[in-house]
Amino acid sequence: MAFPLALTIKKQGRETLVALAGELTVFTPEAAWRQLTDRRAAAARGGGKVVFDLAGLTALDLNGSAQLLTVLAAFEKAGAETSVEALPEGFSAIFDLAAGALAEPMVPPEPRLTFFSEWGQIVAEAAKDLRGLIAFTGELAAEFVRAALRPSKIPWKKVLNVAETAGVNAAPVVCLVSGLVGLIIAFQAAMLMKIFGAEIYVADLIGLSVVRELGPLIAGIMLAGRSGSAFSAELGAMKAAEEVDAIITMGLSPVRELALPRVLATVLTTPLVALLATFVGIMGGSVVLLNFGYSLAVFWEAAVRQVSLASYFIGVGKSFVFGFTLAAVGCQRGLAAGDGPGAVGRATTSGVVVNIVLIAVLDSVFAVLFYVLQL
Amino acid sequence: MSSSFDEKAAAPPVEARGLTVAYGQAAPILENLNFEIRTGEIFGFLGGSGSGKSSVVRSLIGLVKPRAGRVMIFGEDLWAGDGVNLGRCRHKFGMMYQAGALFGGMNLLENVSMPMLEFTDMSRSAVETAARIKLSLVGLAGYEHYLPAHVSGGMQKRAAIARAMALDPKLIFLDEPGAGLDPITSAELDNLITALARNLGIAFGIVTHELGSIMNIVDRAVLLDKKTRGIIAEGPPRELAERRAPPFVDAFFNRRPL
Repeated sequence: MAFPLALTIKKQGRETLVALAGELTVFTPEAAWRQLTDRRAAAARGGGKVVFDLAGLTALDLNGSAQLLTVLAAFEKAGAETSVEALPEGFSAIFDLAAGALAEPMVPPEPRLTFFSEWGQIVAEAAKDLRGLIAFTGELAAEFVRAALRPSKIPWKKVLNVAETAGVNAAPVVCLVSGLVGLIIAFQAAMLMKIFGAEIYVADLIGLSVVRELGPLIAGIMLAGRSGSAFSAELGAMKAAEEVDAIITMGLSPVRELALPRVLATVLTTPLVALLATFVGIMGGSVVLLNFGYSLAVFWEAAVRQVSLASYFIGVGKSFVFGFTLAAVGCQRGLAAGDGPGAVGRATTSGVVVNIVLIAVLDSVFAVLFYVLQL
Repeated sequence: MSSSFDEKAAAPPVEARGLTVAYGQAAPILENLNFEIRTGEIFGFLGGSGSGKSSVVRSLIGLVKPRAGRVMIFGEDLWAGDGVNLGRCRHKFGMMYQAGALFGGMNLLENVSMPMLEFTDMSRSAVETAARIKLSLVGLAGYEHYLPAHVSGGMQKRAAIARAMALDPKLIFLDEPGAGLDPITSAELDNLITALARNLGIAFGIVTHELGSIMNIVDRAVLLDKKTRGIIAEGPPRELAERRAPPFVDAFFNRRPL
């Protein structure tokens, strides 16, 4: 393969002459230098001198100069003496500029943290985040009390706006997932129960599990991923654009102005979305039993007979808690976002992760609690 | 001095003929523009707010397709056919955006190295050397491992110029290089641009309305006018300022209300 740069290598006693001809530019490939690789070791072994004759160069730019300087440095590092000769007059300025620019040594990057330091830092960061979340929850609770005492001060227009974008608009996708999960669980259970001729009990299973667990859980996780992350990104971007600072400077509270309407709207809409998800989840399960020849009326009766009134209240109550959690964490992560272009992304990621983990933990706590209370 | 590209020897870095810039179906922002940027010159795109300076540059760098006219980059039609030349032409120029647009997750050395690693067959060590050279030339030796967020706005702009120089282009566009900088840093940036143009023969197309910079470093400029949707004056800024006509040109260069 012909390269734009041709190398002719001659050995004269202890001196190696490398004549360069053609173009030494940004588009000169690494492969053009390959025939020098073996020579480097040989030149180093003999403690010889390598002379680069540049008389044949027809083009040279900064990147070409960088390539030559890198090759020279490699020879010198291997122990050979190097020199550059016959640089055409028009190119000496650019080569000198490149060589001069490297005169100042590069400052090495900061050393990586040791294993223990890194873990120490992670734990300290986690403790700081937890402290921030607790402080934020306290401030938010105080704002809720304040709002309850003076409801006219609540920005209802903003609350309704958020309820529409974060709650109502999320309902179709939550229902889609809930319906599919109901269908999948019913199908898997039916395949097993059919062996015993007990497929009708799939309706009981679907009714109880979707009302108590899956409906609120799917709604909570989906809203955390869709709406909680949107709060983190929105408030993180406002923080980066100094809008949060502007609110503080005006003597206002970012929690009251930005977080309260979002949390209030989410707390009010999450149970409604969860109820819808519950209904659609059960309907998803009904598709399987309809295919097994049962009527919708039979399925429905079987689905609701195991569901006590307490189960409905438990489902709705949990979705209130999930709604508060996902909105509060989303807003807190956004308001705690750092500076720089990656801060919004980090805040959003952290918001989603914390939210999903918290919702799963809370659901487990509820499961144990209701078992102990025999509800 | 050599070029890293095999461009047609006599072709100017930029030649715009009958250029009409518009967004969507809306009325054109600018119509029938004719200008060229010559080798090694610092060329200014001047005008009031909303006059379309940045839009013109966006059509010169292949981001906004002109409604009519041609843009020649080193003699090659940028928008020919269905943009078949776009990729190749984009390697022939660099661009510095107003806020630097450095990649926040990469340090300065990685920012400058990225185009070389992507588009050349240079070895990694040569790429690192080249990136160090570029950063050193813009006065950032010693800051190679800093993240963009950890250096000042002026340093970010200088690093963005170093990134624009990554493939050794002979044409660099700068969008508001002095915006948001203190007068000393702005003057230092002006000196850097002049030095790069004079020492490396790089042509610069600069969008700016900073009169100090315009008078100090711009060799030639076009003044764009929102009302006439075209070039209202063209030439060396000092000559335009002394001409004192038409009224908009006089008001612009002598900082007077219309």
